[in-house]
Amino acid sequence: MKINLSKTSACWLAAAMIFSPCALAQQQPGLTATSIRIGSFGALTGPGYLYGKLAMNGVEVVFDQVNAAGGINGRKLELVREDDRCDPAGAIGAVQKLIFQEQVFALIGGGCSNATFAARETIEKADVPFLVVSSVHDGITTPPARTIFSTALTSTIESKAQVEFALDTGAKKIAVVSMRDSWGRARYTPLLEELKAKGVKIVADEEMSPDANDATAQVLRLKQADADAVIMVLFPKPAAVFTRDAQKLGFKPLLIGQTGIGDPAAFEDQVGVPGATAKFRTISMVKYTPDDPAVEKWRKLVEAKFPGDRLSVFNLFGIGSAQVLVEALKRAGPDLTREKLVTELANIREFPVDVYGAPITCTVEDHRCNKAPAWLAKEPAGPVKVLSITRVN
Amino acid sequence: MPMFCRRNVLSGLFILALGVPAFSNAYQLFVANLILIYVLLAIGLNVLVGYAGQLAFANAAMFGIGAYATALLQVHLSWPFYFAFPAGTLIAMAVGLLISLPALRLSGLYLALSTLAFAQFTQWVFSHWDNLTFGAGGFKSPPISFAPLPVSKPVGLYYLSLIVATCVTLFAQNVVASRIGRAFVSIRDGDVAAQSLGIDLLGHKALAFGISGFTAGLAGGLYSQLLNFVSPEGFDLFQMVIQKATIVVGGLGSITGSVLGAGAIIIILELLREAKGAQEIVFGGVLILFVTFFRRGIVGSLQQHFRGWDEPLHSARPIGSALPSQVRLGEKESLS
Repeated sequence: MKINLSKTSACWLAAAMIFSPCALAQQQPGLTATSIRIGSFGALTGPGYLYGKLAMNGVEVVFDQVNAAGGINGRKLELVREDDRCDPAGAIGAVQKLIFQEQVFALIGGGCSNATFAARETIEKADVPFLVVSSVHDGITTPPARTIFSTALTSTIESKAQVEFALDTGAKKIAVVSMRDSWGRARYTPLLEELKAKGVKIVADEEMSPDANDATAQVLRLKQADADAVIMVLFPKPAAVFTRDAQKLGFKPLLIGQTGIGDPAAFEDQVGVPGATAKFRTISMVKYTPDDPAVEKWRKLVEAKFPGDRLSVFNLFGIGSAQVLVEALKRAGPDLTREKLVTELANIREFPVDVYGAPITCTVEDHRCNKAPAWLAKEPAGPVKVLSITRVN
Repeated sequence: MPMFCRRNVLSGLFILALGVPAFSNAYQLFVANLILIYVLLAIGLNVLVGYAGQLAFANAAMFGIGAYATALLQVHLSWPFYFAFPAGTLIAMAVGLLISLPALRLSGLYLALSTLAFAQFTQWVFSHWDNLTFGAGGFKSPPISFAPLPVSKPVGLYYLSLIVATCVTLFAQNVVASRIGRAFVSIRDGDVAAQSLGIDLLGHKALAFGISGFTAGLAGGLYSQLLNFVSPEGFDLFQMVIQKATIVVGGLGSITGSVLGAGAIIIILELLREAKGAQEIVFGGVLILFVTFFRRGIVGSLQQHFRGWDEPLHSARPIGSALPSQVRLGEKESLS
């Protein structure tokens, strides 16, 4: 049988083929009729692996859940990981590999702040949607890059929350003890700016190295300054050393942590001195600790998927972020494009996530989607409690 | 001359490098550019360590000084890259010359320790002199423009790196094949003997440090443009390990080895991305393998198995020597 098509019909047919979902899917990198390739970068080795590898494990568990339920509009999610070694050059290389070689559709990840900040320009130029999981550097999302959104608390948000918390508790003499490496600086600088903005003059400003084994000098100086609240911009190890030495030298101020020490139970173990963490309060990006019954489902999934791992707060970072990305992908519909995903990410309002302190809201003007740090405390030998959630404007 | 000889392979690599932008994606072009930058670093370090025998650990710092100086001149003084780049290179070279002053009195482990201390001091300055360096958080540098040439920034930068790397390779080959190169090697083999031959120790050590600083400065300037971001992390001890690895794997005391070693190490590091989470172990394993079984590096193995790989000053083949070459003074002076 001979089929004759008029020119008009042929044009319509061609147009229909070009603009059909299948054709659109083929035009979009990392997208097929059955799969969506999502790239992730962060440190897979070294100390930064907490913010990289563990967060990625959380993302992968969410993707597995989605895939088990049939995927998103019939498409399964594939996670492609790249190690950035916590290094700016490594992050740029990793991102370029994911975008141009692995041809991923979108990115989720980012652990070390400087590395992610360095990769921003590459991502921005490639116009690839990117959801930040753990990096806190303000420059990643401020000023907003069209395709980059963050579910991590940024340095400024954490700093505002720390100062607000200290003032709310009635602290009169606030001191700061901080690391001054790239991680510490990313928090220390906005913290000082916030203190200045609130008219607070700190009574002491001490520095510690990430591998410090002794904090006697710092503790004695803060004690001499009679500080009643100490804001700790430290990794867990130096923070534990400081807290232990403070207890030893009879210095008992309010100790205010940040997301780097986001698990008070683990911190209490690390300090190892009974009662030393009684006045320790800290921020967490998520409102649960790993042993909370509310995250039992995720504990089981993480520990089943990665035998030998114990659920950590860093897994929860990845879980929360992945839930937001999955929601945006769902809303973007079956005719998925990067543009639609960016639009949907920018339109997420009050979206409840299993782990964050408050629902997630992104806007076109503000891509910092999580502004609700949770305040945690743990009485000696007692359970971890969520004291409050600070909503930072 | 056999087909698979040093000159033909280097010429082939150059022709291949010319065509890289035509068949590579953005990631592959980035890696190729990184290789060229490490070729510069490896050549300078090999002149200093492999030829002049100065066990120095300041190359990562000088690399950083080149990157910081170039980018900071662009940011603070609004200099265009074409002025900032040579100025940054000269600053790195000047620092290299300054480091050479104590090198006259120090050698071996003492020199290693003092240059290591300098590298740590430089890291501290990068991280803490906030007003000048923007502190540990780093800063963005303005991208170079190749207008009115019809090339994008990545392609233009790649060709700029290729031109610089080619010029430096030819320059270094000529230097090491000259009287200066032989003086370097004689200093490496024995200070006292070299002095007794009338060689100016301070002058030649300073020259070796200066060449090393110069190439590190060039590499730093190009690196700052490649990333358009400069921060202290890129110039730490791991950076020094990578640079040392390039000359050990390529072949100590060999310019060709520097080129091959830089290519091999960067490609290995990129391929190891596939060994998710195990890069450091595998990278360490590769280094142990070379140090144990291929002590003369890639070039040493090529010299052993193929004709036409001898370099000037390398016509004698040592057996079981830790150093890759022995020098027969007065042998070939010209490029072989």
